Amino acid sequence: MRRLSTLLWQVAIALAALAIWEWGWTFHDRLPWLVPDLLDPYFISRPSAIFQQFLTLGCLTTSDGSWTFAQPGGFARCIGKSENNLWIATWFTLKNTLWGFLTGVSSGFLLGLLLGRSDRLSEIFFPFITAFNSIPRIALAPIIILAFGIGDASKIVTAWLVVVFLVFFNTFEGARAVDRDHINAARLLGASEWQVTRTVIVPSTMAWLFASLSPAISFSLIGVIVGEFIGAEHGIGRMIIEAEARGEAAGMMVAVFVLMVAGVILSALVRRLQAYLLRWRPAHQLGG
Amino acid sequence: MPSTPPEAVRCRIEIDRLRKNFSADGREVVAVDDASFRINDGEFVALLGPSGCGKSTILNMVATLIAPSGGAIKVDGAPAVFGKPVRHVGYVFQKDTLFPWRTVEDNVGYALEIAGVPAGERRSRVAEAIRQAGLDGFAHFYPASLSGGMRQRVSLMRTLISRPEILLMDEPFGALDTHTKLDMHSVLLSLWERQRQTVLFVTHDLGEALTLADRIILLSARPGRVKQDFRIDFPRPRDAVALRETRRYAELFSHVWHSLGEEFAKGHSA
Repeated sequence: MRRLSTLLWQVAIALAALAIWEWGWTFHDRLPWLVPDLLDPYFISRPSAIFQQFLTLGCLTTSDGSWTFAQPGGFARCIGKSENNLWIATWFTLKNTLWGFLTGVSSGFLLGLLLGRSDRLSEIFFPFITAFNSIPRIALAPIIILAFGIGDASKIVTAWLVVVFLVFFNTFEGARAVDRDHINAARLLGASEWQVTRTVIVPSTMAWLFASLSPAISFSLIGVIVGEFIGAEHGIGRMIIEAEARGEAAGMMVAVFVLMVAGVILSALVRRLQAYLLRWRPAHQLGG
Repeated sequence: MPSTPPEAVRCRIEIDRLRKNFSADGREVVAVDDASFRINDGEFVALLGPSGCGKSTILNMVATLIAPSGGAIKVDGAPAVFGKPVRHVGYVFQKDTLFPWRTVEDNVGYALEIAGVPAGERRSRVAEAIRQAGLDGFAHFYPASLSGGMRQRVSLMRTLISRPEILLMDEPFGALDTHTKLDMHSVLLSLWERQRQTVLFVTHDLGEALTLADRIILLSARPGRVKQDFRIDFPRPRDAVALRETRRYAELFSHVWHSLGEEFAKGHSA
């Protein structure tokens, strides 16, 4: 009963927001004190226009409004015609996000493990890491575009840079927090130093790594989008910039909507992965 | 060995004038002072004393987890070297040290995996150990979903699976409730009576020491010294529950209790 009422409230709020977005501006002249200037469709478009634009950018309808699937090969022709249609843009953005995520997570983990388990190395390198970490990573994006060009590499490097520190600090903490008694137990059960590393230090540090996967995927997406803003041939970020240049609010909104959906799906997948990998932890510790 | 008569008992652990100082807040604390004793092959020895008397410290020095400040420890004639655990010596912790990311069977089989025992043999030995510990049906559980008593059974089997000849136990049942503790005594007795490992068992629980051990070495309050050495002559196999109702148990209990009580009193006044 409670769940149903929650759902009803959510649907009602969403519909109300959409309705204000769609029709609110028509009352602007009559009730200027109620309808702020920000509701101007020039800035935020309208749900109906955004949906139309989604169909066009997604090659589902042609510019005259007829369905591409109505004519044989219409969809393929449309995809081939425009360089940066919605599907290709999404593909490039997601691909680079995943690469940034994978490279960032793996290198951050190795680095965190290495420094976390070596007092000497962490003593030497920690000031540098702290200094680098204090740079807002996004400020480096233009330099990265300059160095790596406007192709995929610069997007992956930007995403990597954002992810690697996050994962590094988590892993570093985890590697320091390995239970001494677990290490002693392994040694007393006959494990060599290398076996202790492989069977105790890596798995118990993994728990900390997994906790950072959710933010890591979101950060990676942010890194790629910022990279695409600054200079790219493909991608959702590029779509937003193009639409902005043409003053097309609907185009920008389509891109933002696609990013929202992508973000939700990616973090849901990562959370599933996390729950599976951490299945040995008591339920109340999950999601930590 | 022509020089030793066949029935001669072999000394497995030899502790000679062992000493350990700790420095805490710039103050030297003597935890163990001049402790000496020997443990023979197949003996079950309880190291009994009030809390803080250094009994766990002695055990951990034998286990090579702590470096002694003075004196000597020999395991099977060879000096114990700090940080170099001896292969055939097993250790059971008081604290739960099961690997939480491994299932019951992977925890139990850990030592075999480390030693490179082939998977087939490993599986059958793990299954046997799980059965002996009464953990059938829990092989695929993670430690987090087991009770304290079950976790300690898994710990015990994780150590016993590699068939250690010498077993060091640091208050392994100290954190369990009375009922579970008695249960664990039965499990340990039945396992031990089959293998007859040499055991050094640290405890502050006199009842536990009487139930399990052949000998009780009583340590004085800090600094730990050997105060008295009692022989516990209950016949074996023992029944952990029935034993407690015998007259001999009551006699020995009050006999050792008197000595132990003096040390508890000293520990409090110190």
